[in-house]
Amino acid sequence: MKKFTLSLNQIEILVGIIATALIVLSIPLYAVNEAARLESAKAAQLGLDLDDAMSLYAENCSVCHGLAGEGIGATPPLNNPALQSMDAGSLTKTISRGLYGTAMPAWQIEDGGSLNDYQISQMVDLIQAGNWQETQDRVVNLGLAPQVPFTTQPDATILAAIKAQADGEILAAGVTLFAEQCVACHGADGLGTSLAPALNDPTVRAKTPAELERTIRLGVPGTLMAGWEKSLDDTQIAAALALITRWESVPAGAIPAPNRPVPVTEESLALGADLFAASCSNCHGPEGQGSQRAPALNVRSFLTNTTDQAIQQIVTLGVPGTSMPAWGDRLTDTEIQAIVGFLRSWEESAPEVATPTRVQGPWWRGNAAQTGHTQASNQNTPWAQTTSWVQSLDWRAAVLILSVAGLALAMILFAGYKLKRLAPSNPVMGEK
Amino acid sequence: MDKTPPLANNTPLDRMRQRLAPPEYPHDDRSRMRMVMDSLILHLHPSKVPERTLTWTYTWGLGGLAGLLTMILAITGVFLQMNYTPAPPQAYLDVLALRSNTWFGDALRNLHHWSANLLIVVSLLHLLRVFFTGGYRRGRELNWLLGLGMLLLVLGANFTGYLLPWDQLAFWAITVGTSIVSYIPLIGDFLNRLLLGGPEVGAATLLNFYALHISFIPIMVVILMSYHFWRVRKDGGLTVPKSPEEKGEPKSERVTTIPHLVRRELVWAMIWLAILILWAMLVPAPLEGIANPLVSPNPAKAPWYFMGLQEMLLHFHPLVGAVIIPILGLGTLAILPFIDINPETIGVYFRSRRGQALALLAAGLGLLITPAWVLLDEFVLDWPAWLSGWPTFISNGLVPLAIVLLGLFALDEGIQRLFRADAEERTLFLFVFLFSALIVLTLIGIFFRGAGMALVWPWELTAGH
Repeated sequence: MKKFTLSLNQIEILVGIIATALIVLSIPLYAVNEAARLESAKAAQLGLDLDDAMSLYAENCSVCHGLAGEGIGATPPLNNPALQSMDAGSLTKTISRGLYGTAMPAWQIEDGGSLNDYQISQMVDLIQAGNWQETQDRVVNLGLAPQVPFTTQPDATILAAIKAQADGEILAAGVTLFAEQCVACHGADGLGTSLAPALNDPTVRAKTPAELERTIRLGVPGTLMAGWEKSLDDTQIAAALALITRWESVPAGAIPAPNRPVPVTEESLALGADLFAASCSNCHGPEGQGSQRAPALNVRSFLTNTTDQAIQQIVTLGVPGTSMPAWGDRLTDTEIQAIVGFLRSWEESAPEVATPTRVQGPWWRGNAAQTGHTQASNQNTPWAQTTSWVQSLDWRAAVLILSVAGLALAMILFAGYKLKRLAPSNPVMGEK
Repeated sequence: MDKTPPLANNTPLDRMRQRLAPPEYPHDDRSRMRMVMDSLILHLHPSKVPERTLTWTYTWGLGGLAGLLTMILAITGVFLQMNYTPAPPQAYLDVLALRSNTWFGDALRNLHHWSANLLIVVSLLHLLRVFFTGGYRRGRELNWLLGLGMLLLVLGANFTGYLLPWDQLAFWAITVGTSIVSYIPLIGDFLNRLLLGGPEVGAATLLNFYALHISFIPIMVVILMSYHFWRVRKDGGLTVPKSPEEKGEPKSERVTTIPHLVRRELVWAMIWLAILILWAMLVPAPLEGIANPLVSPNPAKAPWYFMGLQEMLLHFHPLVGAVIIPILGLGTLAILPFIDINPETIGVYFRSRRGQALALLAAGLGLLITPAWVLLDEFVLDWPAWLSGWPTFISNGLVPLAIVLLGLFALDEGIQRLFRADAEERTLFLFVFLFSALIVLTLIGIFFRGAGMALVWPWELTAGH
């Protein structure tokens, strides 16, 4: 039988034909799948955009439109079918330029806002295709749940007392109006929030009524303060003006912050549990049952009588004269809210009477060992870096080091062996 | 001889058929010359080439592959340009649309991306091939310099193209990469601002880089490439491969370019086209979130081919690591053909049998010494502290540089004494040692540097970058 052999030329031609065939075949094959690929790329892109949009929503919108786009007070809900079916152009226009005569400001950078066109298109995606439950979780996880409710109820007894004052009717109307419309940004009792300045303030009262009225009617350009001329009638504006100018005669607590539970997610509960174990359990006991150092928390009497806002305030500011420190100095609002949410989760199963435990050692010693901060700071020293790097040596590192060193040594030894056997290319004169 | 066909058959179709018909074999010198003049291939190549230059394992087709990649880049580049606006944030949106809204947009972008990165590797390999076979000697010096110029252009093209997708990867790689420029004394800051069109990477930078990427650099590449090809022919074609034992001019039978050379070129081109097309279809080019000047990734790394340079900055004062050493390196490459001149070893891979062993030795030593030195410098050496009171340019710049140069000198002396290496073998040894050190540094920079540019294992490198 004749032996079958290929010359180099034939192999070359064969390989060339195979390569050409691959090109010719793969392009149509790819083209067939292209439509599906575009679809899946679009879906993947939408997922990424929605993810960004949820964070943007948490940072910029949730304060007025609510945790999950449900709308608060006069602010319209975003999670409604009418908006979802609206065309992208109108939504883009509304977000970019705001709605004249309402509290909706312009968000486009060139119009004084903080979002670029790409981010606005992501917000439109969120309105049209977003998952509002996920959005709520994002808002809570970022610690951006609105601190202040959009509306509240004025305290009935104080309101009656205000009405009894001379010319008190209009002041009471102002208090009611403030509780409904203004408290979201200007805060309980008009003491201000991070969004807007205090109105219950001597410097505000020092301004002329005309100036104040103009601000209420027309708003302040470039800020969140909208013009209220279209939403409020003249009597309401007069009432608001009366409240702002005569606030010193309104007793504190007239417009209280209502009881509003801190929103929680699985992640925030886990964070709260971790923080409780690290920072609180040394005094309040591992299950919050209390100890010789601090009162029980996991007990019905405490949990039913203390609102989330109150717990948050105690944790943030501490209790002067006791060993309860002001945790606001070391934990963020998100972390404190997570702890509050975690404590609240005990309420259902909390016993009527707590059984305090005895704990060992001073509270700060336990803390230092368990918080991550000390370890992190150690890593900055060069020595700790070396040890951590050496500690990370494992079988993969050993394989890598041995193979690289082995390869290098093999190359060197083989080359050395060869060199010893080969005569010099240009023998030096006089040598053998 | 009147070849005009009868009037009845003189339709446009007939004229076309006549024009496209294969030429008859020329019988007289005049029509032979005419045939050469009419042939594009024979303008590029001589009509006959020494058979031995066609050996696959001599050239590896690297120069031709670089040319092919350049053509692919030019063609895909034009299509990408049709779908691109050089202004933020539209640039990023355009790239997104290319991926999710344009037929073959993704494949086109991948093809451009992978070809561009392959071109850097191929250019460097081509440089190595020419160096290893002494291909720059005896009249080919100028072409070596042209090649070096094109290598810089290829790096420039890749670097300017890196910014265009306007994602986080692009933004921070260019921020880190251009900051290296500002270490040049006196004019560094000015150059940096000129390049960026402002104090930091922004809209002006994108437009600058776009203009450089699509007009200046391609034009320069076309000019230099034509000159390079023309010089290859004027310098007498490729150097002819030769075994170490062969003395004198290598003898080689000459074969006709068509079909011997052209067939191999075509096969090689088809192989790489197939590889690249499959690669582009299967492996997506990276794209991160939109550029955000407020959120910097940690670690922020330069493009991969500059990671050797960035790694050097961790061990030397910036003026030494980013300016003096690169200039020394490029300067050495430029004067190589004028100091490494032995015509006897042109075409011999690694100069001689001993050269082959010495090159292997140098590569092994580079592989061993470079990581050892990086570890030593990371954990033990602390020149600025030991020489406190001295300016860091001396303590952390000139002192380590002097030690490195002394080390090279010692290596050179060592191989001279131990193995009685001659001048060109020593040049080869040092070149291979330094090149393998550069490769090792680049690999360390890419795979072993984590957050804060601290040493980590590759499997601990987070996907952040």
